[in-house]
Order: sequence, then structure tokens, then C-alpha cells
Amino acid sequence: MMDPGRVMNIRARILASLLWVAAVAQAAPDAQRILAASDAVRNPGRPFSVTVALTEFQDGKRVDSSSMVTYSRTLAQDAQFASLVRFIAPARDTGKLMLKNGQDLWFFDPSTKASVRLSPQQRLLGQASNGDVVTVNLARDYRAGLAAEEDIQDGERKTRRAYKLELDAATDDATYSRIELWVGTENSWPLKGRFFADSGRLLKTVYYRRFASELGTERPTELVIIDGLNPGSVTVMRLSDYASKNIPSSWFQRDYLPRFQPE
Amino acid sequence: MTSTSKRRWSGIALLLLATSSAAMAADSDADALALKPESATEETPVASKLFVEGADGRADQRYGLGSRTISRATVDFRHSSRLNPSTQATFSARIDSTDPPDPRIDGAVLSLREAYVGWQDEAATRVVEFGRINLREGPGYGYNPTDYFRDHALRTITTVNPFSLRENRLGSVMLRAQRLWPDGSLEVVYSPKLESSPSSDGFSADLGSTNARHRGLISLSNRLSETVNTQLLLYKEASASARVGASLTALVSQAAVAHAEWSYSREPDLLSRALEQSDNPQSRHRLAAGLTYTTGTRLSVTAEYQYNGFALDRGALQSLATDNPSAQVAYLTQSQALQDNAARQAVLVYAVQRDLGLKNLDLTALVKFNRSDSSRMVWLDLRYRLDKIDLALQVQRNTGAAGSEFGSNPIRNSSGVVATFYF
Repeated sequence: MMDPGRVMNIRARILASLLWVAAVAQAAPDAQRILAASDAVRNPGRPFSVTVALTEFQDGKRVDSSSMVTYSRTLAQDAQFASLVRFIAPARDTGKLMLKNGQDLWFFDPSTKASVRLSPQQRLLGQASNGDVVTVNLARDYRAGLAAEEDIQDGERKTRRAYKLELDAATDDATYSRIELWVGTENSWPLKGRFFADSGRLLKTVYYRRFASELGTERPTELVIIDGLNPGSVTVMRLSDYASKNIPSSWFQRDYLPRFQPE
Repeated sequence: MTSTSKRRWSGIALLLLATSSAAMAADSDADALALKPESATEETPVASKLFVEGADGRADQRYGLGSRTISRATVDFRHSSRLNPSTQATFSARIDSTDPPDPRIDGAVLSLREAYVGWQDEAATRVVEFGRINLREGPGYGYNPTDYFRDHALRTITTVNPFSLRENRLGSVMLRAQRLWPDGSLEVVYSPKLESSPSSDGFSADLGSTNARHRGLISLSNRLSETVNTQLLLYKEASASARVGASLTALVSQAAVAHAEWSYSREPDLLSRALEQSDNPQSRHRLAAGLTYTTGTRLSVTAEYQYNGFALDRGALQSLATDNPSAQVAYLTQSQALQDNAARQAVLVYAVQRDLGLKNLDLTALVKFNRSDSSRMVWLDLRYRLDKIDLALQVQRNTGAAGSEFGSNPIRNSSGVVATFYF
């Protein structure tokens, strides 16, 4: 028979362990909440427009540039952002539109009046898909887990303390199969993301930087997007002219595209 | 070496590899972060688009006509802006000068594509537009049975690429009203008769081509789900039976989109219309159905099946070419004017490869195969895009037996260069 003193000792240890686990569980940050807070830094909580200037570099040399105005809003409570992208440069693409409303993707060219439905793969290969790294509500489409709390080099090449989140696609709308996202522990700023395809291939690495006050909070105004397959291919995305806008929900359907009135 | 030491060395090698990969990634990230974003160009939205285009090449002709130079100069302008928060004005036109010139039109050809004003409410749920409007329906790539305002809409033909061809197309003068809701819209159109016959004056608005009879259209669009869209259409023109049509687009997978377009009507067949015999209307179908697949290597391929119940079948086409060549020429000319298929059955393959081994170098290939007479047309466009200039090399080849659709085209082969300057 076991010594009663020893039994008491074991019970005390078990109790202490349980209390420690409970305390740790309470103290451990909720990954989904961190993700939602980071979404709120990138995305204003109301309909908005932003001008996006993209410059593409190959091995350090500028090879292309384009500009577009993105109009975004959610169409229902807890819904994903829908976006209408209007190209303003280069001149050959002026006036062309790209619509994204979930999996409902359309391209419209005013010179041919053609509305063409796109597959997610088609859109992903174009520059407009880089908008996804800005106006997307990750907390809605991904399940987050806390992988680590660590120091990383941010986009300004400064060392920052960050939560490393592992995101797994949870809905059909999710563009990427998996994402690794680093969020600042201090202020919920998204600092860095690595976006993966179904095959496990790294599609892009994104650094969020140059945080500035836009529409009431500090938001990233510049992104550096590094191609996963070809690290020499880099796109610098500059965000400017954030504006809160009354954007009607009827803009986000195919039949409105030929009716779109530029400002 | 023992198996234990082998394992140890392999472990060390893997560790070194992983460490060096991580170090290389960190280096490339550091290089990327050092790029100067100041070189990014700041652009402001503009309401206009203007380009000029020049083309020069050679054509190898049939019927003993030998080889000759072909050229074209084009100015293309489009402007769209808001007059006030709810009213918009659009103007769009182009001028083409070709050598050889179009024998039906004197001098350079103006295509006044659009000139209209539009009004919409603040919620963008009600839209009214009036003027010359280019109203295009249907998701088909090379053939649009439900695009009821397509006939006689091209003053001159400068390319065989169906997408580029639409850039030349004239709108029709119409009053158009649309009601939109989150998942669809209802559209009503009335287009009046304004003139009786097309104009041969190069600088005419040519309302006789697009507004030669009273026409009306009702269409209902519906988004059934995120992945499926449908459209139902009812079209009627003066002195003709109503036509019904439907179209559908669907996302089949993450990389594939399907489209289908169908129309049913009672009207004279294509040959009767070419010979101006309108006393024997038939009830027939028109159809286009296809699939577009995009690979991860930036290649998009579309295959489309096309059916025109009003076109001649294989036997009738062959006997027409043998027995009445002038009627066959009229038949092919009529199919071009109506933008209707001369083939009872045809297959189109349209492929675009972006960044073909070089950034901004695109290859577009189009093959149209007339299944009724086994003739085919191949068109290639290799295009390099600079900031404000496009440079393209284009090649076209029409092959088939004598008397077939593409075998009777006066041009057997052609090739040329095209330069486009955007302002």
C-alpha cells in the first residue's frame, strides 16, 4: 500500500500542474484574435478606396509598373471583402476593370465591352491578385494557430517581437492553402507573410512596412512582395489616397461593369 | 565509414543545406527590401484613352493576283467622364486608313462607336442611357448567338482576332434602361429606325448600318451562385419573328471556366439573306459552348464549339461553290457583314501565353476550323509590351480546298508588323 504522505504529495503535484496549465492557457494569446486585430490594421471597417501603385523589379532592375484604384467593402455582416479594381496605368490598360466577389471574378474591357469570367488561377497570375494581400479578411477564411513568439527582421530591417501565426484555409474562398503570418506583439501590425499553394509551394513572401495614419489608424502604406519561385522577381506596392467612400453593393456584379462611372 | 557516422555526416550536410537555404532566402529578402520604392511612378486617373497604330506587311494572294504590300494607320480615342455625380458622358471613335482600301467606302473610315449620356441613382440600382451605345451580349469567344446588335456593326475589318475586332464595332442608337439588384439585373432596350441604308461616305456616322429598322431587347441576368451566372434574352425587330436566347458562365474548377450561349429564332437562312430571298423563314438554333483552362505557367487555352443552324451544311457548301460561285461569294460576304458563322459547325481554339520566356512578351494563337468544309484559319500575334508602346509580329494563314470558306479567301498568307503608341 502506498504511503499516505506520498499520495498527498502526488495529489499536490497534480493540482499544481493543472493550475499551471490553466494559468498558461489563460495567458496564451488567442491566435484568431491576433489575426482579427491584424486584419483591422490592414482594412478599414467601412467601404473605402485606395490607390495602388505597383513597381515590378527583376534582379534589382525595374521591368514594369502599373497603377489601379481599388474600391472595397463587405457585402454582408461577417462577409469577405468584395473589390472592384480600376486600372489607371499603363495607358493601354486605362479604364479596364477587375471584379472580385468571392469566387465570382470578372474582367471588363471598355474598348471591347467584353465581360470575361476569370478562374481564380487566371486572376492569381495577374497583378490585381496582389490586392489580395491588402484587402482580404484573413480571420474569416483561415483558422489560425500560434506557432511561436519570436524576434524577426521587419520590412524596415528592424528587429521586432512578433507572434508567428500558422493559418490554414477554412473556406472555399481562401486564395491560399496556407499562410505564415508574423504580427507585432506590441501593436497587432502585420509585419510579414508567407503565402503557400495547395502543393505546398511558396507563392510569395510579403513584408508590410511604412506604417502611417490612414482612416483613423496606423496602416501599412508599402508592401514588398517577393515571388516564391523566383526571388529575383519583386513587386513594390505603394498604397495612397485612402478614402472612406459610399460604395453601393450593386457595383460588385458583372452587369454593373459596363455602367461603372469613373470619378 | 560505419553506418552511424554516415548518418551523422548526412545529418550535418542536411543541416548545412537548410542553414544555407535560409541564409540565401534572408539575403534575397534583404535585397528586395533595399529596392528603392521612390522609382514607383505615381499615376492619377485619366478619363481618356488615345492610341495610334501603324501596320505594314505583305500578303500572298490567290487567283493569280501575286503578292502585295498591305498597310494600315489607325487613330483610336475614347473618353468617359462624369458631368455631375449621377450623369456620365461617353464618346468613342476611331479612324482607319488601309491599303488596299475597303472598296465599299470612300477614303479613310470613321467608326463612331459610341456617343451617349447615362444617368444612374446614388445606389446604382437604376440606370438610363441614351445615344449610340455599343451593347454587347454573350460570353462566347469567337461566336455570339445572343449578341443581337452585332449585325452590320463593323464598317471595316482590320483583324481576324475576335477580341480586337470588337474594338472597331459601332454601337446602335438606343434608349436603354436597367434595374440592378445584388444578384442580377433587368434590362430593356429600344433602338429606332433612323436611316434605311448604309453609307459609303468614309466620315459618316453610318446610322443606316446600325439603325435600319426598329429593334427591342429585354434581358434578365441572374447570379445563381458565386460560380454560376445566367442570362435570358428576348429580342424582336420590325418585320421579323422574336428570337429567344440564353447564356451561362460557370467556374468549373480553380483553373477552368465554362461558357455556353444559345439562341433560337425563325428567320431566312444565311444563303437566302445573301440572295435577298426572305420568303422562306426556318426555325433553327445557334450555339457556342467552350471551356477556358489556365495553367500555372501563365498559359490560357480556350476551346469553343460553334453551331449555326442557318448556315449551309457540308454538301450544300460544296455544291454552291461548284454550281454558283458568285452566290458563294455573296454568302461569305453576308456572313461577315452579319458576324454570323458561315460554317454549320466550327471549332475555335484561342490560346494566350503571357511572358513567353521574357517579361512582357505575349503570344496569342487563334485557330478556327470550319468542320463543314474542313478549311481553317490560323492567326498568330507575338507582342512585346513596353511602357507606352506595343510591338507585334502577326502572321495569318488561310487553308482549305477551292471553294471552301478559308480556301476561297483572296489572301492565302499574310504577315506584318504592328506598332501601337499609347498617349
